[in-house]
Amino acid sequence: MADVAIKIEGATRRFGSVTAVDQVTVEIEQDEFFALLGPSGSGKTTLLRIIAGLEIPDEGRVLINGEDVTHLPPYARGVGMVFQDFLLFPHKTVGENITFPLKMQGENKAHQAERLDWIVQLLRIDGLEKRYPSQLSGGQQQRVALARGLISRPVLLLLDEPLANLDRELRKEMEVEVRRYQIELGIPFVYVTHNQEEALTMSDRIAVMNEGKFDQIAPKLDIYTKPATPFVASFVGHSNRIDARIGSVNGGLARIDWNGLPLIVSCPADAGDGDNISYFIKCEHIEIQPDGSSVADSNENQLAGTLRDVIFKGQTADYIVVLENETEIVITDASGIPQVKAGDRVIVSWPAEAGNCFSADHV
Amino acid sequence: MSARGRFSNLFYRPGARFALLALPGVLFVVLFLLIPIIAILIFSFWRTESYELHADWNVNNYAEVLGDGSYMVFLLRSFLTALIVSVVCLVYSWPVAYFIAKLGGRYRLLLILALAAPFFTGIILRLAALQAIMGPLGIVNMFMMDLGMEPIKFIMYTKVATGIGLFYLYAPFMVVALYLSLLNFNFRLLDVAKVNGAKPWRGFLEITWPLNWAGTAIGFILVFIPCLASSVTPHFLGGANGALYGLVLGEQFAETGTWAKGSAMGVILFIASFIVILIMWRTVNLRRSGFTGAGM
Repeated sequence: MADVAIKIEGATRRFGSVTAVDQVTVEIEQDEFFALLGPSGSGKTTLLRIIAGLEIPDEGRVLINGEDVTHLPPYARGVGMVFQDFLLFPHKTVGENITFPLKMQGENKAHQAERLDWIVQLLRIDGLEKRYPSQLSGGQQQRVALARGLISRPVLLLLDEPLANLDRELRKEMEVEVRRYQIELGIPFVYVTHNQEEALTMSDRIAVMNEGKFDQIAPKLDIYTKPATPFVASFVGHSNRIDARIGSVNGGLARIDWNGLPLIVSCPADAGDGDNISYFIKCEHIEIQPDGSSVADSNENQLAGTLRDVIFKGQTADYIVVLENETEIVITDASGIPQVKAGDRVIVSWPAEAGNCFSADHV
Repeated sequence: MSARGRFSNLFYRPGARFALLALPGVLFVVLFLLIPIIAILIFSFWRTESYELHADWNVNNYAEVLGDGSYMVFLLRSFLTALIVSVVCLVYSWPVAYFIAKLGGRYRLLLILALAAPFFTGIILRLAALQAIMGPLGIVNMFMMDLGMEPIKFIMYTKVATGIGLFYLYAPFMVVALYLSLLNFNFRLLDVAKVNGAKPWRGFLEITWPLNWAGTAIGFILVFIPCLASSVTPHFLGGANGALYGLVLGEQFAETGTWAKGSAMGVILFIASFIVILIMWRTVNLRRSGFTGAGM
């Protein structure tokens, strides 16, 4: 295991009666890209500000490279930070904005110029140094904000939804770039986002945050395929949620009754006969076929229904099917499956081991 | 077509709409600024005799005001008073405005209104109240004498008393100017400065001060210019040796009836004020003030 760069022990921050960050403990490694993923109001930005020193936790400790910095002011921590709306200094040129951290450290002009050359090359924004922030495009402003965060070789970089204000095309490009800088610089990036695609694209590990707590901290693939809680299952990826009751358990598989439709799903370890469960099946794990065609034997769950609508999304499409129990289910598949159109009778199917099932009585 | 329809048609013609919207402002400037200034300018080259203006063109008024040392002493004294009062107002108002803008929360408007409360009464009443506090029989000195101490002489009809009066009258203008400026200031920029290694005082000098300099300069002018022209305040609080340029200027119209000379003094005051505004304006670099409305 690599060196631990950031250690947070039981950090808690309250604002009045609201506990924004609640007893959070985590270790982030030296060369890790760590994403804090959660809906707005989940406390992820507050946690980031605690690491930066802009918020002092009411309880708990923050350690950076082994040193307790809990009560160190932000200017003494040596961290870099990139903010959501860039927050460039409007009265300073691009060059002055970028070299601001070095100026604060009292670096001489020659060294500042040298570092500026290095960072503008790295971020491909050379030639803009004399301009003012208001003369830049959104993408350029974003790079300038990144450059300012990185120029002083911080011990770690904190990013607070840095790509949220960029258009989709640019965001895709920056996702790859930001990851490249992290690998090149070999420092931990802590990346706050509510956008699961960003988190899944860039990070090594993801912490899913909900109401001030971590629901799950795990490598990104595990977050996606093995969600630890119903919240993670519903927040990451696009899933159908099925609330049902277990009829019988047999060798790790449970027969459940979903408003009159029988299903077979993998049974949560802590559930038994008669327990309520929440079952999540990702939209792309369900197959859709025209009525009457043969379904693979491995798909134990087969339900008949009527295709209500097809929502075209480019390469894929969402198929909304009304099942015989009057419930809707969403299937994501390649767009333009030629055999089905709205109003057709269809069969939807998926294997028993697909999806994630949680005991609703114990959560 | 009805008359009403014709009117609205007229209003939707771009040129007509522009003229209609610009008219009130133009009227104001012409009536209350341009015409009086031109009148004063003309009178300053005339001559008064026995309370009457005679239109024989000459520059004697200027020669007298600029040549007679006493007028220049009054002007210099006014200038120094205005400068000191403005600087004191600035130092005093920054923390007040900063506090209201940053920490006032939902009481911000109330706090600003509280600052404006003295404006609900007239200036004479307010100066009389100050007299009642600082004068020989005022609260401060009665209290000192009750305690068996010497009265504080330097606030009894002195230049200091005038300064205090001017500060009292004009500090609210500075606070409001700074408050409006700080209202548009993004305090989160200070978080950025802090994370990037700036101690609080450094953040203020690098970020807060330059981004609010335009507002500060406006506040400075709003205090400096009326102080430079002040006449009522020294009249009430300044005592026998505290005459300021504005007071002497006022006397030309109200007492001696030398309107032409008074006009010349007015023109000189106007030029002096204009120079100060010009100097302050030169210090405002719109780009460097973070001002984004300059279309650059």
